[in-house]
Amino acid sequence: MFAPLQAEPTLLPETIGRFLFGSEMAIWQEMIAAFLAAFVVANVMLAQAGVAGPWAKRKITAAFTDRIAVNRHGPAGLLIIPAAAVQLMAKELIIPDGVDRPAYDLAPILLAFSALIGFAVIPMGSIFGINLQIADPESGVAYVFAAASIATLALTMAGYASNNKYSLMGGLRAIAQNIAYEIPLIVTGASVIIFTGTLQTSEIVAQQAEPLVTIAGVSIPSWFAFVNPFAFVLFMVANLAEVGRNPFDIPEAPTEIVAGYMTEYSSIYFVLFYMGEFIHIFLGGAIVTTLFLGGPSGPVLPGFVWFVIKIWAIFLFTQWARSAVPRVRIDQLIEIGWKGMLVLSFANLILTAVIVGVML
Amino acid sequence: MNPWIAIGALALVGLLIPLGMMSVSSLLRPTVPEKGKTTVYESGEIPTGGTRVRFNIQYYMVALLFLVFDIETLLIFPWTVIYREAVSMDGVGLSGALYPMLAFVGILVVGLAWAWRQGAIEWVRNPTDSQRSVER
Repeated sequence: MFAPLQAEPTLLPETIGRFLFGSEMAIWQEMIAAFLAAFVVANVMLAQAGVAGPWAKRKITAAFTDRIAVNRHGPAGLLIIPAAAVQLMAKELIIPDGVDRPAYDLAPILLAFSALIGFAVIPMGSIFGINLQIADPESGVAYVFAAASIATLALTMAGYASNNKYSLMGGLRAIAQNIAYEIPLIVTGASVIIFTGTLQTSEIVAQQAEPLVTIAGVSIPSWFAFVNPFAFVLFMVANLAEVGRNPFDIPEAPTEIVAGYMTEYSSIYFVLFYMGEFIHIFLGGAIVTTLFLGGPSGPVLPGFVWFVIKIWAIFLFTQWARSAVPRVRIDQLIEIGWKGMLVLSFANLILTAVIVGVML
Repeated sequence: MNPWIAIGALALVGLLIPLGMMSVSSLLRPTVPEKGKTTVYESGEIPTGGTRVRFNIQYYMVALLFLVFDIETLLIFPWTVIYREAVSMDGVGLSGALYPMLAFVGILVVGLAWAWRQGAIEWVRNPTDSQRSVER
């Protein structure tokens, strides 16, 4: 087994707690510190989703399709972000006839909730000597997969409660897609756990810091994307499907079913859906970063900066796929998921187990 | 510090943020009720029929399969965590650690193959499929 590579870094709630109350904390003081830490991290992710949604996504799509996007408000159009926030929040909320009230209202809250709570165990690296990870339980990876998959429930509720035929179709497609691609995602994630022998995220990241090979004086870290590239590719594809981006954006498919499960949502509910999806893309990126890209490790720059660079690289990848890859049909989607990805992910798991077992 | 306090705190924040945004929005937004606005959206047409229609969920078989595989992944996780340790352990070794899981996955793959042959892994089963295969 691996020995811990470094002393346990202090987690963010502990840092805040020590700053406020000293090293001896009562339970309510711990709770306040944890709340403040959670507030900081949630707002960091919210800010990134805010940059991504109204600005970066449009800029990236414009660059891919050779157009000019938001460039009127402020430098490079950046002031569109507060403008869009105010504009979207100030829209009238229209609740259509015959919706199932509690479910209709809960779905957007649940989607944003499920995307945000996943970040609790993600090692975000440190900046100015403060480690930004909130919690580091031993079941970290299992927790983050569980948190991310609550989103399916929100989409189901939205689809059924909206009393709209497009929403119903979109909701059913979303269920079909998410259950088809969740198993390849988790099984491929499990193939990484074979290497690490632990579910604790900080430990997984620490193990990837060891050098793999040195080429011309540059040592390449043993990121699992390099150790097991096949699993990395599988995971990226399954991740695209989980966040519902092209070629797997069939639940929303604007040219077929208007906006899928989002059709009847307006005003703040729409914002919550949209924001939740973006945070979900970043959560997917954070899982990929933690499992395959060495987490926040990297040269020169502080860890948190590397973490942001990596999750934005994965965000850019999803936007690239969105601009470049045509949408698959729903029956093709199911076939790729159950007949392709599932079989390949199990083959990957077994192969990894055999190779690891023989090499030991 | 117990990690689950921190995770619970994030869950609380994750609820408070959407609720806070909703309350801010309720202060900002206008409300102009009008009958036409609340009709069900059907591309601008007058909606026909209800939404609570019968939908052919031929797909329920896949949902059952999903349950089976989901529980399987639950059982795979502990195995992956102890795998390396078990292989290097005396009396277990590679065969002891790997073969039971091979058998376990094998049984499920056989189940998947059966569902595949039954045509359960399809979005909609097409009644003309058999004819079409003759035409080809």
